Amino acid sequence: MDTLNILLMAFISIVLINNLVLTKFLGICPYLGVSGRIDMAFGMGMAVTFVVTLSGTMTWMIDHWILMPIGLEVTRYVCFILVIAGAVQLVEMYIRKFFPSLYESFGIFLPLITTNCAILGLCLFINLWGIDNLLEAVVLSFGAGIGFTMAICIMAGIRENLNMADVPRCLKGAPITLITAGLLTLAFMGFAGMIK
Amino acid sequence: MFKIKHFIEQSWLLIVASFCFGLLIATANTAWSPRIEQNKITKINNLMGGLLPKAEKFELAAELQIESAKGKKIKSNVYKALAEGRCLGWAFNCEGPGFADKIELIVSVDKDFGNFAGYAVLASNETPGFGDKIKLPYYRQQFAGAPAGKLELAKTGDAGKIDSEIVAISGATVSSEAVIKIINNSAAQVKKQMREKGLISNGK
Amino acid sequence: MANKAQTTSTLYKQTLLAGLWRENPVFRLLLGMCPTLAVTAAVKPALTMGLSVIFVLLCSNIVVSLMRNLLKAHLRILMFTLTIATFVTIADLFLKAFVPRMSEMLGPYVPLIIVNCIIICRAEACASKNNLLVSTIDALGMGVGFTLTLCVLAGVREVLSTGAIWEIKVLPAWFVPWAAMSMPAGAFITLGLLLGLVNVISKKRT
Repeated sequence: MDTLNILLMAFISIVLINNLVLTKFLGICPYLGVSGRIDMAFGMGMAVTFVVTLSGTMTWMIDHWILMPIGLEVTRYVCFILVIAGAVQLVEMYIRKFFPSLYESFGIFLPLITTNCAILGLCLFINLWGIDNLLEAVVLSFGAGIGFTMAICIMAGIRENLNMADVPRCLKGAPITLITAGLLTLAFMGFAGMIK
Repeated sequence: MFKIKHFIEQSWLLIVASFCFGLLIATANTAWSPRIEQNKITKINNLMGGLLPKAEKFELAAELQIESAKGKKIKSNVYKALAEGRCLGWAFNCEGPGFADKIELIVSVDKDFGNFAGYAVLASNETPGFGDKIKLPYYRQQFAGAPAGKLELAKTGDAGKIDSEIVAISGATVSSEAVIKIINNSAAQVKKQMREKGLISNGK
Repeated sequence: MANKAQTTSTLYKQTLLAGLWRENPVFRLLLGMCPTLAVTAAVKPALTMGLSVIFVLLCSNIVVSLMRNLLKAHLRILMFTLTIATFVTIADLFLKAFVPRMSEMLGPYVPLIIVNCIIICRAEACASKNNLLVSTIDALGMGVGFTLTLCVLAGVREVLSTGAIWEIKVLPAWFVPWAAMSMPAGAFITLGLLLGLVNVISKKRT
């Protein structure tokens, strides 16, 4: 019961309180680029969730079961990025072959995700926070993806409405998106301190 | 055989490059890791020195396992502060949840674990201008000399009076309370374990 | 002969200046947003991050440019990533050894230089196609442009949130600091407004 409690708290904390996009500035590039329409945003979010859960788990396993026992922590960054790149390639090939309909909906985003800071960032944060059991790492990775999806869908909804509003010409596009993101972050700050 | 040859033809650069890069990283690591270790030790020594200024050196006395308020297992190193061979006090590190992320502290107590000598913040991510004030002397000096029992948070009161009541930082109640909780929780566990190990007497 | 020398030197000059304004990585190409927002709370970490990026960009552009004729098409990105990851590891070790306080402040954002779009884009777009000298100059231009941008953004945020730049007080005591500037919200809004400003200035020029 206690473990379940900890896991639930971890999940809520990374989705609402430590949201990767709004508080840790990860994944901004796709966030700005793909949040134009809700269906694209949702597709991107799902792709990210898929990849980040897989990568977070795999990098945790490699870090704890291979790198630390051997003492090769200095190669951590190289290993992480290679694992992530490899995982994305495998996932893309697998989905293209076995789930072509799924590939239609979010497959095109997969190559973009390799350089997405969110994935590497999450693996590094899991390392930084000293998470020492596998289940918590899995839950955090999944939560991070869900948090990203949530943030990007909210942003897409707002942007779709912004298209009809009268935005000054110099602010059109990236600037107004960033300002909106700032206001969203302010709103989400209300969640801080929720977990004692 | 042909497959292996083809494979090597395609990826020889990758293999050679990986080897060279590995060598580069290994060199940099060997050259600098003693310095990195030294930095960590210096930092802790500086913080402890600030809390127990009369101490000449700090000796690692014990490595304990304590639990944070959330049930997370933390390794706490207990250092003995020595001056002219006599024990001046103890310092140990602890951590716990704060308003944003976690707060890591070094707490120091006098030699009988009777009163706190103070605390220093090792790492924290509190709101700048509000929760960040836990690093400032205004809040920290209330702990110097406070009894090493259960400390309590008070919203208002006399910050100059040194007792088990600590006046919160206005606008940062959660961060102030977090520090008190961490100190209460860890001090109790460290005291108990140190007694069991015979490092401090069991006197009443 | 003289003509060729002239065009090569203008090419170098153009490449250098491109990174500073016309193709400024943050303001115009919209690359490298993540560290921009994260480390610009104060000028010191921003400068440290900028210098680290210059180092990694230079090294990676040089190495990729030297290797450019040997690269196989489908292993290209992997090679770039490996190169960049190595130099970022070295930079991170350097920071941890010589400026530990800065390293702690920057935290996980130093290894995130690996996935910083700027570096991999320059490797792909420039270093793998041009000779050593042009690649080096391009790296310098982009790197310096990025660093200057970071410092400008950090300067604005630091002045408004603490009244000081590089921990030297510049604003008078009556100024009540805007704590929001040092938090993520302030970062987004400042960058958005600065981008808008840059758009206005660019439109006026053309």
